[in-house]
Amino acid sequence: MKTKPKIILSSLICLAFLCASCSSSSNKREELSERAAEIVQGDCANDAGKEVTIYSGRSEYLISPILEAFACETGIDVRVRWGNSTDLAILINEEGKSTEADVFVSRSPGPVGFLEGKNLLGSIDQSVLSLVEEQNHAASGSWIGFSGRKRVLVYNVDEVAPDELPNSVFELTDPVYKNRVAIPGTNGSFEDWFTVFRDQHGNETATKWLNDMVNNGAKYYPNNRSIVEAAGRGEVDMGLVNHYYNYQEAVALGSEHRAENYDFPSDDIGSLLIITAATILETAKDKDASNELISYLLTPQAQSYFSNRTFEYPLAKGSKPNPILPVLEALEIGSVDFDSLGGGFEETERIVRESGILN
Amino acid sequence: MEFLTSNSLRHSQRAPLALKVIALITAFLFACPGLYLVWRNITSDSDPLGLLFSEQTLSPLMRTVNLTVLVTLSAAILGTGLAWLTIRTDLPSRRILKIVLPLPLVFPTFVGAAAFIRTLNPGGLANDLVEKIGIDKTLELHGLFGAWLVLTLFTYPYVYLPIAARLKNLPISLEESARLLGDSSWATFRKVILPQIASSLLAGSLLVFLYTISDFGAVQLMRYDTLTRAIWTTRLSNQPVSFALALILLSFAAIAVIIETLLSRRFRKPDITTQAEIVLTPLNKWKTPAIAASWIIVFLALITPTIALGDWAADGLLREFRGGRPLFIEFEDIIKPTINTAWVSMLTAIIAAAIVLPVSYLVAKYRSSIGNTANAVMTSTFAMPGLLIALSMFFWTLRTSWAAEHLRGTIVILIFAYLVRFSAQALAPARAAVASIPASLEDASQVLGASKVKRFFTVDLPVVTPGLLAGSGLVLMSTMKELPITLLVAPFEFPTLTTKIFQSFEDAFVAEGGLLALILVLLSAVLTWILVIRRSDHLA
Repeated sequence: MKTKPKIILSSLICLAFLCASCSSSSNKREELSERAAEIVQGDCANDAGKEVTIYSGRSEYLISPILEAFACETGIDVRVRWGNSTDLAILINEEGKSTEADVFVSRSPGPVGFLEGKNLLGSIDQSVLSLVEEQNHAASGSWIGFSGRKRVLVYNVDEVAPDELPNSVFELTDPVYKNRVAIPGTNGSFEDWFTVFRDQHGNETATKWLNDMVNNGAKYYPNNRSIVEAAGRGEVDMGLVNHYYNYQEAVALGSEHRAENYDFPSDDIGSLLIITAATILETAKDKDASNELISYLLTPQAQSYFSNRTFEYPLAKGSKPNPILPVLEALEIGSVDFDSLGGGFEETERIVRESGILN
Repeated sequence: MEFLTSNSLRHSQRAPLALKVIALITAFLFACPGLYLVWRNITSDSDPLGLLFSEQTLSPLMRTVNLTVLVTLSAAILGTGLAWLTIRTDLPSRRILKIVLPLPLVFPTFVGAAAFIRTLNPGGLANDLVEKIGIDKTLELHGLFGAWLVLTLFTYPYVYLPIAARLKNLPISLEESARLLGDSSWATFRKVILPQIASSLLAGSLLVFLYTISDFGAVQLMRYDTLTRAIWTTRLSNQPVSFALALILLSFAAIAVIIETLLSRRFRKPDITTQAEIVLTPLNKWKTPAIAASWIIVFLALITPTIALGDWAADGLLREFRGGRPLFIEFEDIIKPTINTAWVSMLTAIIAAAIVLPVSYLVAKYRSSIGNTANAVMTSTFAMPGLLIALSMFFWTLRTSWAAEHLRGTIVILIFAYLVRFSAQALAPARAAVASIPASLEDASQVLGASKVKRFFTVDLPVVTPGLLAGSGLVLMSTMKELPITLLVAPFEFPTLTTKIFQSFEDAFVAEGGLLALILVLLSAVLTWILVIRRSDHLA
């Protein structure tokens, strides 16, 4: 009796070492995952003897098939550290010049602005920058957007009548919406959005809006996903979130999920597009391979993966969003100077905290 | 019953030099994250003292104190009660309970809290159920109550495991005489058992206390604004404030550790420990309420969150089966993280047990000041946010090019970071266990001329082992669910179950997350059963 667990344990440990020694990067088409094989066109290239290290704040589910396809098509090895964009930016700052990251992929511009402020970003090649419209990359060339998520109002279809939906986020402070709206106050995308809000409408208006929301009984939730999930159950009537969580929840839960997205009219700050940004670190070991990787994110096959599989907005010139998504109007993206965002977060954080929404 | 005793023999014993040296080295290594934090406070011009008395800090700090005191009290009562019921009474189904009761510890709180919300909150699974039978009562878990409930249910094992270990080799002679003299079960418990388990209770409660002040997942999902949340929200936008708040948190933890050390000295040592068969207290008329209470806890702490995870996973599997959107994970995405999680957490648990022994001896047997210092350092680090421990690993390894090249991004540094974060969980029960080595037993063997090494193996180890195993079990489960350190410090391409679960929930892939979380719970059940429960049963 006593030996049995020992056998189980030791075989587990052996298995672990066996698996640790088996190589993970593959250069054969038949070894690709199903989703990566869908993206790759043609055969895999021979090993190019190069390597790119990515710190990715976009999750594995959303982006790893594309990275796998890139490794196959170019023969360049890819190493990834997955994590939360903010934590990864803090890590790069801590590592400083000796960071292992060549490329940093962030879910929102905030962490990129933080690194730019620390002078840790290099510049992306002009040929890559020209793959997107001018407003979708930094003027300095330090970052480029490759996909986007729109801010929307998610609402429970049983609790909210269509004629109750507001024309603007400003209307949400109306007594009609008392105790009905959820806000992800500490979420990265929300902070980005609120910083742009301040930039566009001025500090006073933005602060007043948030304070009025709190007085109107707006509820705090920690992130977009929990709001979408709560709206789907009817715990809260509506909430300010990124558009694509609702598609994932709807696909996951089917008819049980009772929430839909509402898109504010295009000139409203409530319908802002938030860009997913890629950057090259100043200390990147192989700048060419890093540029190659970023340009791969903007190829038609990668862009169509974003729009059809992860329900994001593609940003490469000439790419078309998935028809199920709210229509994107040109004006929305270009109207905001994302470069000004980096420094503004401290103030956003203070206003959010002092509004009392977190209590 | 007298609590205060002085043990003149022990005071006269000098601690062996080797132990002191080992403890010093351990303390020094474990101080790395704390020193990093102090250094960052200096270099980024933080003002922890000024901040301490500002409104911005005081109200979250007060909420942290409220929550922590409540959770510690309730987890202490729950853990003690359940341990006594399963080990010392004739409670039916206690064999199964012994396996399932420690398990709630394995839920990462961000998963556990989300699962709770999914099951209990308006529109959730349980609500649907009660609505069907015509009750329209919508409970909404949030704020202090929600955070208290979730944290109590997920942390009582910190108390339960050490006390269960202690109760296994408690002197039964006293207990029996008390009962023969006509004392009720409760009086026996209060007068005989409680004083004997006091040091384990104190040690376990300290772990609950430290865990609760450092928890982020539950307070975040329950929308309760504590100090950890303030540290988290300012970490990018205002680093000096974040560092200063973390230092305040760490100081708060250190104070708690020192108080516990002082308190634990007040308890008297047990007279004799026996390895004989335990005589079980009959519950009689209390049998039914006791069964009900134990299983209600299991239902709330283990089954409720598991139902939500199962519901998420089942939806995903059914969908794939019916030809809907397939799951985003393949078989290999499950196997590799499972194996990684299993071996790295087992290795960490074993090493933790080994490194806490010297310090436990110095503290509990020799009362050496070096031991107390090492204990304070190792224990208070448990309250440090994982992100800061991770950053400190980079800070220190990047000081020399040798370490940067050979240590950064290796398993060695990952396990070291886990040890820094979790050794307190092995140390606290180990200290209590060493303190329970009866002086009389040792004196006898000394008189008989047994060598120190021989004494350790024949006299001490059998007494200490249950506590040590309980502690390793805690480290094992905590390591399995660890997230922030694993994300940043682990080698490239080293997925664990928790990192996969985190990514799944981040982007609302709840079916995948639910499935992986179920595997995590199952794996922890198997490993704790093999490594902890089964082994300590052999000893009892």
